[in-house]
Amino acid sequence: MASHAATADDALYTEVAGQRLLGFLFFLISDCVIFGSFIFVYLYIRNASPVWPPAGVERPGLYLAAVNSIVLFGSGATMHYAMEAIRRANVRRFTAFTVATIILGCMFLSGQAYEYTHLHDTWAGSTFGASFFTLTGMHGFHVFIGVIFLITVLVQTLRGTYTPMRHFGLTAATLYWHFVDVIWVALFFLFYVY
Amino acid sequence: MNATAIERIIALLGAFVVAGCALTSLRAEWKKTGLDDHVTKIMLALLTVGCIIVVLVAVGVAGRT
Repeated sequence: MASHAATADDALYTEVAGQRLLGFLFFLISDCVIFGSFIFVYLYIRNASPVWPPAGVERPGLYLAAVNSIVLFGSGATMHYAMEAIRRANVRRFTAFTVATIILGCMFLSGQAYEYTHLHDTWAGSTFGASFFTLTGMHGFHVFIGVIFLITVLVQTLRGTYTPMRHFGLTAATLYWHFVDVIWVALFFLFYVY
Repeated sequence: MNATAIERIIALLGAFVVAGCALTSLRAEWKKTGLDDHVTKIMLALLTVGCIIVVLVAVGVAGRT
């Protein structure tokens, strides 16, 4: 009897989790649209300008940004391993990889703060500065929110909220973190490579 | 060895490690059919693209200094 009730409960959870996942993906798509709009504006300004970056404006350091990018991409890999660990009911491994992801996220934010304080350009200094600080700042804010999200799901996991069968919160956190990684691929290419 | 050279080496080695992890995970995810699994596959593929860009930057093929 109890087993039947548990099965019905699991089925209901799976159905609700499917709807929540769809809702969360719509949220990520809407966030993509926001970033896409800002990127479009940046490309418009860039193409309208005869010289880019404008005369007298220095580009941000390429290789420091490359290292910072790898730190963030590495956090995407550790988050994926954390998700795989919870699917196998290995909470210890999950905790280790989630803590690693949080540390790497904080390292990325520190790298970005270092870059901001060493740039010879300001938000109001040029169109390049305005675009750079708006887009990378918005991304940095997303990383900051992601770190808080990860700390929250880590605490919830340690309290036993999630199981191998019931872990929608972790799925959402993992997808959000991957999203933040992928947005940085586009920003790194636009501001440092292109 | 100057700071730039060290940054390039770290970026290059890190990019190879992360790309390897992403591709291995992508291979493991490949047969899964859930909606979240499909999204994860796209994200891992794009993560690999990011690593390739970093490799090109580190070896001096792409990027403006």
